[in-house]
Amino acid sequence: MTRRFRRLPGYLFLSLAALGSLFPLYFMVVSATNTSQEVLGSKLLPGTHLLENFESLASTQPLGSALWYSAVNAVGTTVLALVITSIAGYGFEVYHTKAKDWLMGLLLLAIMIPFAATMIPLFQMFADFGLVNSSFAVILPFISTPFLILLFRQASRNFPHDIIEAARLDGLRELAIFVRIYVPTMKPTFAAAAVITFMASWNNFLWPKVILVDNAVQTMPMLLSNIRAGYVTDYGMLMLAVLIASLPAMAIFLVLQRSFAEGITGAIK
Amino acid sequence: MDTFRKSVSVAAVMALSLALAACGGGDDGASGDDAASGDGAASNGDNTLTVWAWDPAFNIYALEEAEKVYQQDHPDFALEIVETPWDDLQTKLTTLAQSQQLDQLPDIFLMQNNAFQKNVINYPDLVSDYSASGIDFGEFPESVVAYSTVDGKNYGLPFDNGTAITALRTDVLTEAGYTVDDFTDITWSEYITIGEDVLAKTGQPLLTGQAGSSDLIMMMLQSAGASLFDDEGNPTITDNEALLAAIDTYQQLVTTGVLVEVNSWDEYINSIVNSSVAGTINGVWIVGSIQSATDQSGLWDITNLPKLDGVDGATNYSANGGSSWAISSGANAELAADFLGATFAGSTEFYDTILPASGALANWTPAGESDVYAEPQAFFGGDAIFAKVVDFSTQVPSNNTGAYYYEGRDAVSVAITNIINGADPAAALAEAQATVEFAMQ
Amino acid sequence: MSRRTAPTEEAARSAPSPHTKATGRLSRSLGSSSPKFRLAQRRSLTGWTFLIPASLVILCLNFWPMIQAFILSMKTGRGTRLNFAEPLWSNYARLFDDEIFKLTLQTTFIYLIVQVPIMLILALILANLLNDRNLRFKGLWRTAIFLPSAVGLVSYALVFRTMFANDGLVNDILLGFGFIDGPVNWLGQTETARMVIIVGLLWRWTGYNMIFYLAGLQNIDYSTIEAAKIDGANAFQTFWYVTMPQLKPIILLTAIMSTNGTLQLFDESFNLTAGGPANTSMTISHYLYMVSFRNSPNFGYAAAISYVILIIVAVLAAFQIRVGDKRD
Repeated sequence: MTRRFRRLPGYLFLSLAALGSLFPLYFMVVSATNTSQEVLGSKLLPGTHLLENFESLASTQPLGSALWYSAVNAVGTTVLALVITSIAGYGFEVYHTKAKDWLMGLLLLAIMIPFAATMIPLFQMFADFGLVNSSFAVILPFISTPFLILLFRQASRNFPHDIIEAARLDGLRELAIFVRIYVPTMKPTFAAAAVITFMASWNNFLWPKVILVDNAVQTMPMLLSNIRAGYVTDYGMLMLAVLIASLPAMAIFLVLQRSFAEGITGAIK
Repeated sequence: MDTFRKSVSVAAVMALSLALAACGGGDDGASGDDAASGDGAASNGDNTLTVWAWDPAFNIYALEEAEKVYQQDHPDFALEIVETPWDDLQTKLTTLAQSQQLDQLPDIFLMQNNAFQKNVINYPDLVSDYSASGIDFGEFPESVVAYSTVDGKNYGLPFDNGTAITALRTDVLTEAGYTVDDFTDITWSEYITIGEDVLAKTGQPLLTGQAGSSDLIMMMLQSAGASLFDDEGNPTITDNEALLAAIDTYQQLVTTGVLVEVNSWDEYINSIVNSSVAGTINGVWIVGSIQSATDQSGLWDITNLPKLDGVDGATNYSANGGSSWAISSGANAELAADFLGATFAGSTEFYDTILPASGALANWTPAGESDVYAEPQAFFGGDAIFAKVVDFSTQVPSNNTGAYYYEGRDAVSVAITNIINGADPAAALAEAQATVEFAMQ
Repeated sequence: MSRRTAPTEEAARSAPSPHTKATGRLSRSLGSSSPKFRLAQRRSLTGWTFLIPASLVILCLNFWPMIQAFILSMKTGRGTRLNFAEPLWSNYARLFDDEIFKLTLQTTFIYLIVQVPIMLILALILANLLNDRNLRFKGLWRTAIFLPSAVGLVSYALVFRTMFANDGLVNDILLGFGFIDGPVNWLGQTETARMVIIVGLLWRWTGYNMIFYLAGLQNIDYSTIEAAKIDGANAFQTFWYVTMPQLKPIILLTAIMSTNGTLQLFDESFNLTAGGPANTSMTISHYLYMVSFRNSPNFGYAAAISYVILIIVAVLAAFQIRVGDKRD
């Protein structure tokens, strides 16, 4: 009995947080089913215009294509990023030396400057290599961020080094240790990194906007921007587009969330 | 653990293939782009032009119709339209110009009138001068051509009409005992008097506007032929009689409640569309948003603006926004100018088509003489508003924008917010001038 | 996978390592008398190869543009007509006279000091609550709290702007409950506009940070928590003395990232309040964007602004690393 009461404030707090988080989203979903006028009037109840909104959206914008390209970019970035930053983070932590610490600090500087400032020299670089307007150019600058490397490095702090020692004594090479022992054990971190990289890439707007010169390979955020640019904005359609744009990130989260939030998993075997 | 490793390897394979596909796409894109930019820079790919513009319902629709018109005489002509919102277009233009990758530019792009001077003065390599292309710029109202004229040369072909109108809800007016004629050719003090009366009798303000937006005040300023900058580009924010009168008028509008300030563009549209106000003053392009409230059909009409009291050169006409076509520097300039000249500056048939379908109003004076323009508009109580507006647009005074126009507008916006909150107008404007002078250093 | 115990390790320490054939061969061929030292060196080298790909990408694609931006920050002029300034630091000196810049600096710091601590503490509490193996509907809470981060920045700004309009939802609800007498002009007053941005940031990024803490909590050995419970510690004590220290690396990560994110804040300022009444809710990054793309382009000055941001973030990050980054 007392145990349940002890947990009550926890449940209350969680409920409040969940409600607060969901309320604006509820508004978004409901707005996708209403007309523009109703959305502006803050109507809170679902309407009957979902199909209409969808038809307007599909007929005025290349929805399928934008979703596809966003997906290609996001998946590509995520997988590549996970591969090279996880091994880098592992390298920084497990083979820790002062020099590596210094390098980590230096790399961190790279995220401290607003992208708007480095965008133009970066664009110039890509243009000189003839890479403007390709999916490759959209992905490349984002597959390695100091942030992810830092994440893996910090997460590796709690990774027991005696396991590595034991594996070495078993005769495993360093790379094998990484792949066969580290990766499976650090599933929660990989899952978290996958979710945030996917989301960051999916929602990335400024760079694709600049590096893609025609709309053949445009991404979802660019599509959303197009919708808002008209003299007359159809707010119901816009909210529907926003909803559709948010679904993949939510889906990835739902798929991966077990991996980093299972409850306490117990000793690493 | 094994399933995890399996999924990792599957993912790796997928990623590799995607990367290859992306690279492949990229190579095609890159090489295709080189070819295309070759087309842009030289003059082959003979009869295709690329255009960057925004808004499928207006500008892009107009381009598609223009393509059809031009194809009547040039059957192998093609127009490649890339939808690009203005903000993004501006970012792209700046990026391309700053990194000197001018071969990535399209042949034609649409540009906001307010931004013309800034872009042309700072990046002259961006655009082509087409004063000598055979297009008669005299067929456009002087005030609009002025936006895209730098050092006497024409860099833009006016398209989207920004002439200002006073739009009013006739049903609310009738309830208060007025008609649209009571608002025609009046002064601001008269407007405020009527507005207070309407407010008292019906509870509805006549105007709505974004707080801290300088749009309305800029319109008042332009209506008196005044500007924020003089002909040499120096800021004239202090000691600007028209500006002080405009701000004073604005203040009165707010304190009497005739003008309701809202905080964002969406709220502004909402107030019109959900009937919380009885009218608005803005560029004629606002008509599209008004018409999205289908239940208000037949209840609107338009007229010209009130003029500033006691200011020399005050008129009842002004403008807000609008955009013009620019031809980029690497473009197939001859073809572009010919295309634009034959359609946007030469075809009444073209304008007749686009007007009823999209409400896209021309700046080209000869177009206004057609019957289509004189047709009564049901939404506006049967009034032939388009003919009215074309008439208004010939009487709009020019204003100086210059390279620092946005800085000037923003500084004035800040001043307005402070004045509404009680600051002394002269002091606030002096501060605004100082801000602009700082930005110009 | 069985755990080797002490005896084998001792053997490894005392004798030249016979297990790793390659190393043995290498050390013997080098004629070295301390194979363990060579081993450590070789391992360190392997470590370097692990981090080279990622570091190389960053150095080429981030550092090169950064250097160019720095050079740019020493030039004045408009558009592409840029020349080196006399003196070289004049752009930086100009910042001191820039009223708008100083205002945005103040505003951004307010966001940093108010929002980041609240958000991180909230995320920590939520993650800890959700880490309880006996909690029901875990998936539900988790998903609900995380979902805000999945929405694009521009979109959520639009939703919030609509909600906080003068006749929007928030005012309707507050009026309905009688908490206020008249509609609050959220976006039209400096303090409330800033508050709306802070609320927006909390809404959106708390769940995001919670994910990191959840992942971090997974890596904590449950035996340490059990030991504390056996010793009689209550929930708070367990959290503070056992969980927190092990979570420190991740906390440091989120602190650096949030500081960086808030000091570089752009989207909320641009889309939610458009800089707020008279530029009072504008952030430094928003001003940077204005100077580059909206006003008459002054890229030298913009580069100087961006370097000021970098310096502030770097100093704060270095401080945080100093204080919080300890290895056992």
